[in-house]
Amino acid sequence: MILSDLLGSVAVEADGTRLGTILDVRLEVSGAPAQLLAATVVTGVLVSPHSRFSTWGYERRGEDGPLLIARLQRWVHRGTFLVAWDDVERVDEGRVTFRPGYVQRDAMLPRATRERT
Amino acid sequence: MTEAMNTNDADATRQPAGQVLDAHLHVLDRQVLDRDAVPVTTVDDLELDGIELGARIEPGSPPPTVSAILTGPQLAMRLFGGHAPAARRIAIPWRLVADIGTVVRLGVSGDDLDAGWVERWVSRHLIGRIPGGRHDPE
Amino acid sequence: MKRLFAVALGVLTAIGGFVDIGDLVTNAVVGSRFGLGLAWVVLVGVVGICVYAQMAGRVAAVSGRATFEIIRERLGPRAGLANLAASFLINLLTVTAEIGGVALALQLATSVDPGWWIPVAAFGVWIVIWRAKFELLENVTGMLGLALIVFAVALFMLSPDWGQLAGQALQPGPPAEEPVATYWFYAVALFGAAMTPYEVFFFSSGAIEERWTVEDLAKSRLNVLVGFPLGGLLSIAIAGCAAVVLLPRAIDVTSLSQVVLPVAEAGGKVALAFVIVGILAATFGAALETTLSSGYTLAQYFGWSWGKFRRPARAARFHLAMIIGILIAVGILATGVDPILVTEYSVVFSAVALPLTYLPILIIANDREYMGDHVNGRAMNVVGQVYLVIILAAALTAIPLLIVTGAGA
Repeated sequence: MILSDLLGSVAVEADGTRLGTILDVRLEVSGAPAQLLAATVVTGVLVSPHSRFSTWGYERRGEDGPLLIARLQRWVHRGTFLVAWDDVERVDEGRVTFRPGYVQRDAMLPRATRERT
Repeated sequence: MTEAMNTNDADATRQPAGQVLDAHLHVLDRQVLDRDAVPVTTVDDLELDGIELGARIEPGSPPPTVSAILTGPQLAMRLFGGHAPAARRIAIPWRLVADIGTVVRLGVSGDDLDAGWVERWVSRHLIGRIPGGRHDPE
Repeated sequence: MKRLFAVALGVLTAIGGFVDIGDLVTNAVVGSRFGLGLAWVVLVGVVGICVYAQMAGRVAAVSGRATFEIIRERLGPRAGLANLAASFLINLLTVTAEIGGVALALQLATSVDPGWWIPVAAFGVWIVIWRAKFELLENVTGMLGLALIVFAVALFMLSPDWGQLAGQALQPGPPAEEPVATYWFYAVALFGAAMTPYEVFFFSSGAIEERWTVEDLAKSRLNVLVGFPLGGLLSIAIAGCAAVVLLPRAIDVTSLSQVVLPVAEAGGKVALAFVIVGILAATFGAALETTLSSGYTLAQYFGWSWGKFRRPARAARFHLAMIIGILIAVGILATGVDPILVTEYSVVFSAVALPLTYLPILIIANDREYMGDHVNGRAMNVVGQVYLVIILAAALTAIPLLIVTGAGA
């Protein structure tokens, strides 16, 4: 499946309630070891109730500057949450359905990713 | 907010086993450089392996993986919509990726990739034919 | 000499931004109609470009990424493509104007019809991009372009009434004979000319051509602080000369000969020779800067191999794009269109593209993933955001003002 088809899909609960849009897909380089990098697996999807497109990540990282833009971005993408891939029940064209009893997690990225070593 | 941040404590403190990235934020639209730091293309899209449309995902089944970087005609699809037939796709297999930072670095030379064919063609048949094209600038 | 060459990139970028053929004429027009009443716009523009070029240079030196790569990454491919299309069009129009400008400068020097000089100029631009090393290109054109300082010298030699000039400069506002809208049109045009996107594209790509790293941050800052204020100074000097010589006699600026008239009056044949060399170098340098800029932006958006530090065969699409651009420019000139008219429009359009260029730079300059510890300080962010508002204002008012005033007629 192509990533850009998944992005922008509608995210719904098991009973069909619309939760928001798939903003991004969380990956982790921790699968089976290979020649160069370990396999990159999908660990979850990020859902945003109010927005559809985020390329700056203010809602997922600790970046604070510039101040006005950070505030505006955090407001636009307020309420973004992460859902683990285990909680995804089906993927249809344009729609992703979660299992009953899915958990909304914190969307923040781990510290190591947020800073340049 | 319905179902407020209901994080399971054990999961919240689970340390990631490897580098964590967000596909759109960290990978899409970044430059792809080869082993010698020569640009190959931009990441126009990614191919995910292991997602079957319309099928119920059994709990505990293995997660999908990133299988390739897509470029070429895929950029137009991403901009305007639609799908190109698989035969027209230009893909760089993900196993060739050595590092993902502010750029995606490959472990191989761009000359060995399908994705470099336009550059090679222009180089060989157009630019290379103009006198001085193959020499370093002085 | 070596120290002087160290700032060549900044000087050349500024020359292409502040005293290319379009600016030469616009500054003279402004001086002949408003005196120094719009000098404050140049100052605002200089500070703005210094702030943003400094950020772009720092990003290039620390992260190795050029501005247009960041534009696509931060704005997404659609907005990035819109910016690319606008920037490419502007670059193309500007290249056309500059090649035309080189031909006009050669006409000034030799009295041979510019039509004959156009293919010569175009070939000259191409061969330098094809074969000359980046350092050679920037050192020669940058240094020769400094001959334009003769405008400042001429201004002194003309013994103007400094009090009157200062009065014009410190009293911002349209003079009685000119409509308010026209005043603001030229204000936006001058601002757009000072902060033209291709300056940042060229500066940041040039930083990578020169292989700047974290150790070169001081050098980057020096380039910015020397180059752009110098460009602004030259702009004001040209306007000042026009204010002193052309304004009192109500001479309209319609061609290069009126632009250089004050210098010829002040210093005779020698000064005229200097100014012609300066104009030739400046327009040629600007032609190089904009042609390279169009190559850089295309290559960085699509991820092609680019850079003059590579042999052409290893950056094939980059060079092909520039060759096509030069050919189209010659084609446009062959239709007989006035290159100076072309630039007056392209300057205004470039004001519209400003926000899409500068916003990503401000964002990335704060991103620790790219910059590590070299992110913007508080002060820089405040200034950056203030300028973003100014840039938005200019972008939104540019086209309406163009229409209302009929391009400043």
